[in-house]
Amino acid sequence: MTPFLEAIGIDKIYPGGVHANKGIDLSVAHSTVHAVVGENGAGKSTLMKILFGVEQPNAGEIRLEGQPIVLHSPRAAIAAGIGMVFQHFSLVPSFTVAENVVLGVEPRAGLKLDRKKASETVRELAERFRLPVDVDVPVEQLPVGQQQRVEILKALYRDARLLILDEPTAVLAPQEVVELFAAVRSLTSQGRTILFIAHKLPEVLEISDTISVMRAGKMVGTVAAKEATEKSLARMMVGRDVALKINRAAPGIPHTHLCRISDLTVKNDHGLNAVSDVNLVLRTGEIVGIAGVEGNGQSELFDAIGGLRPISGGSVELGTTDITHVSVLERRAAGMANIPEDRIATGSAGGATVAENIVATELTDKRFVRHGLLDLKSIRDHAAKLIEKFSVRVQGPESAIGTLSGGNMQKVVVARELSSEPSLLLVSHPTRGVDLGATEFIWQNIAKARDAGAAVLLTSADLSEILALADRMIVLYRGRIVAAFVNTEEVTPEVLGSYMLGFAEQSAEERNAALA
Amino acid sequence: MNEIIATILSATFVAAVIRTTTPILFASLGGLLSDLVGSLNVALEGIMLIGALTAVIVSAHAPWYIGVLAGLAAGGFLGGVMALFHLRFKADIILVGFAINIIAAGGTVTVLTYATGGDKGTSINIPSKAVPALDLSFLGNIPAIGPFLREVLSGHSYLTWLAAFMVYAIWYFLYRTPEGLRFRAVGEYPPAAEAAGISPNRLRTYGLIASGCLAGLGGAQLAMFSFVGFTRDMTAGRGFIALGAVLLGRRHPIGTMIAAVLFGFFEALSIALPGILKWMPGELIHTIPFVVTVLALMLSSRRRVTA
Repeated sequence: MTPFLEAIGIDKIYPGGVHANKGIDLSVAHSTVHAVVGENGAGKSTLMKILFGVEQPNAGEIRLEGQPIVLHSPRAAIAAGIGMVFQHFSLVPSFTVAENVVLGVEPRAGLKLDRKKASETVRELAERFRLPVDVDVPVEQLPVGQQQRVEILKALYRDARLLILDEPTAVLAPQEVVELFAAVRSLTSQGRTILFIAHKLPEVLEISDTISVMRAGKMVGTVAAKEATEKSLARMMVGRDVALKINRAAPGIPHTHLCRISDLTVKNDHGLNAVSDVNLVLRTGEIVGIAGVEGNGQSELFDAIGGLRPISGGSVELGTTDITHVSVLERRAAGMANIPEDRIATGSAGGATVAENIVATELTDKRFVRHGLLDLKSIRDHAAKLIEKFSVRVQGPESAIGTLSGGNMQKVVVARELSSEPSLLLVSHPTRGVDLGATEFIWQNIAKARDAGAAVLLTSADLSEILALADRMIVLYRGRIVAAFVNTEEVTPEVLGSYMLGFAEQSAEERNAALA
Repeated sequence: MNEIIATILSATFVAAVIRTTTPILFASLGGLLSDLVGSLNVALEGIMLIGALTAVIVSAHAPWYIGVLAGLAAGGFLGGVMALFHLRFKADIILVGFAINIIAAGGTVTVLTYATGGDKGTSINIPSKAVPALDLSFLGNIPAIGPFLREVLSGHSYLTWLAAFMVYAIWYFLYRTPEGLRFRAVGEYPPAAEAAGISPNRLRTYGLIASGCLAGLGGAQLAMFSFVGFTRDMTAGRGFIALGAVLLGRRHPIGTMIAAVLFGFFEALSIALPGILKWMPGELIHTIPFVVTVLALMLSSRRRVTA
């Protein structure tokens, strides 16, 4: 039987000289789930963009059901029956689900848009493929998981027979992943083919029929999911054994109270309470993880503690100082450091050099600034030292940070924040979009900071990251703490998930036991 | 004070508000269309001015409706020029818009000089025509409210009725047709439109041309009805007030109309007041529409922040 989609000898060199795909062969069988895994920068995204017509290969051929085709644009790909769901959704927030799905191919009645027919068609489509969603609600009111369904429906409405999903689980809570996988199975059983890019190996093993592994622009191999294990895949991806295992804080060391957050209330951009009456104590030498579906107050909580958002009620004490209303500079002077959620927008200045970014938080330090003038030499030396210590892959301290890959940029941010030897460290999504090798390294360094006595407050969309690092865990739902745990074997993603989605809430005693 | 309230409540004053609103409403609807596709046309002022002069000069040699169409075409052409420079040559829309405003301010005077044979101020010696008024005096036969309706509604320019119809037409286009859906998608989140196979730049070009046409109509109304003939700088900031109306109207045709009427009201007031408040300097009274624009924008953005 001819494969549904074949890519033969795909080669792609970007104008900047990056050789992203080196003679890639890929063969996707009809009505299966085919996963492509690999570290960041392995070339997965480039390959998918080529298959969806966003990028043009320098060499190679694509065949659809045995026929060679040229995909010169996404429009050509859609016409050929290929649809893609990107990580960043392209939905118009104020439009309803139905409007978003039919946009561009609208049913009409004379001059008019036929809204009734649009709603009906989309509703039927949603039922047929087990993608339940309320079609007449504006998408901005839907949780991320349902927005993703709308994206899938968009592709199906355009009659996609092959669906490319770019890291679809990255933004989902565990229960939503279960629902997505149910939809994926119903799609393949109805003759659709799924190409699935991912890096969370347990999920890949669960849903895929076939798994292809890419590393450094090359296809390393393709295996049947039944014959693969997490370990074997990780070794194929990285090229060596990876130990994503972080030791917990050593028991028996007294942890003194360092930071007390009392009745904290924070408003979001719309003036509504994003965080309500949060009480929490952070101790030295311990990592506290905050779990929650995105948009349940984590960002606002971290911004408020970091001084990037005003606090409308309650207080934050660091050591003996009240830092509730002080500036970022004063917070940093009190011993706080912050690895922010968005390394590009808030974590770094893209046009500035690596050295400038590293020194940016130290401009009161006599080592770097004397008589109001920068000491360029010592700044450069300091940056070079950190680049070495954190093995950042960069040409030198004078390179613009914007030219670095995501993982290396994040390493620079981590290096800068840890070099101040903070007593309180805020960490948001430290390894989002960062490859396995760099993840391991960043985790180890956060653990090192903890062992040096820092109190770490961590949040991540990736529950396995929180479970791997945190000593205690807290679940935020609609801005309130609904559960708190000491991290043990019994706490699984499913347990956290049911609290994250608001299905359950702990009693106050249970919570307080883990909060004090 | 009572005299002011009596003036405001009179049928004559309501009719005056409708008259002062018409040019602003045209320009505001133009601004709305350009803003909804994500390239706010800041050249409304200049386009109105050029539209006004074009309409006046052409109407001296052709029927009045050809003059109006010429104003519209001149506006559409300028909208197309903006699209060309902004979308093809990637120039900043604000700079392109201001270039047109500056060209309009100086260029209209130059062209006026040639057209009139030396007059730098007005087109008084060109026999330009006026847009006819629609006579609805039969409304006066309706019992009770008849005379009031006649006073308010009769004797307005054809273009006033066109402007009112355009509010409905644009609303229908935006919220009832597939093309309108695409228009709004481009304005709200261009990547979504692009992913759906829609070219944002093509729609932006249409939006800018349409906004130019509407501003040109506003100019024609100004120089062929509100005043008959062209006077240098006769738009007097109406194009900028229209921009305010777009923002104040929350990017919706009905909201934009309400905002345009609000500004029209204060303009009419600034015309009526000097006769009543004789002690107040006229210059101060004439600043009212602009002060109101600034205050309205401040209040509306404040509401958005705290909302």
